[in-house]
Amino acid sequence: MPSNCASDIRLEVRSDPRLLASVRGLVREWLASHEVAPQRVDELVLAVDEACANAIRHAYHGRSDELVELHLRATADELMVEVCDRGVTAPPERVDRRVLLPPRPEEVCPGGLGVQLIHQAFDEVRFCPGSPCGNRVTMRLSRKG
Amino acid sequence: MELVIDITRDDHGSVISVGGDIDLYSSPRLRDAIFAEIDRAVARLALDLSKVRYMDSSGVATLVEGLQHAKAAGVGFKLVAPSPKVMRVLEMTRLEAVFEVGPTP
Repeated sequence: MPSNCASDIRLEVRSDPRLLASVRGLVREWLASHEVAPQRVDELVLAVDEACANAIRHAYHGRSDELVELHLRATADELMVEVCDRGVTAPPERVDRRVLLPPRPEEVCPGGLGVQLIHQAFDEVRFCPGSPCGNRVTMRLSRKG
Repeated sequence: MELVIDITRDDHGSVISVGGDIDLYSSPRLRDAIFAEIDRAVARLALDLSKVRYMDSSGVATLVEGLQHAKAAGVGFKLVAPSPKVMRVLEMTRLEAVFEVGPTP
């Protein structure tokens, strides 16, 4: 569903990993401008980076000629970051929060780690695989309390 | 910040000093460097991570793959002085106890 609320920032980023550093810088500045504590900023920037990396790696299978959309929106109650792609739909087990971190290193997979990091950073996370734009992950941080 | 990799070798083994950002773009280059040293059949490989400013899950996976490849090759593998940013990500992914960690190679 397209958002009818004006986003503070809407970006279309080519799916090239080389651009992730620039995206991180922008998200970091935006969070800092909304007075998010520094350690929290680090975790949130990492989470957004992971969402973008997952779009590049899994939805677009590493192709760098596609687009990843970011929406950054601040309201009085929350900060919201949304990452959308038009690639391959993520299978449900990939975005299922209940998948526990594996205890053994040989079971480590970067995409799964990324989902965990996203959940740890934001207060509310919603994955919409197969939404009209391929995949959409909506990440929210409450500003209340 | 661009990933910087420096490699020093002596009779004890190799030290790969890493600086800057380890992310989806730069982690393959780090992986290649780690695997190349292990494949040289050094006795030990230490990764100096004191100057790493940022690390994502691809960086974590690179370290884990390095550890596994080193174990399979009988090469010692150690993380040296990981920066607070590195330790935070390893703690968040609950993998900090998997690695040998110390202040010096």
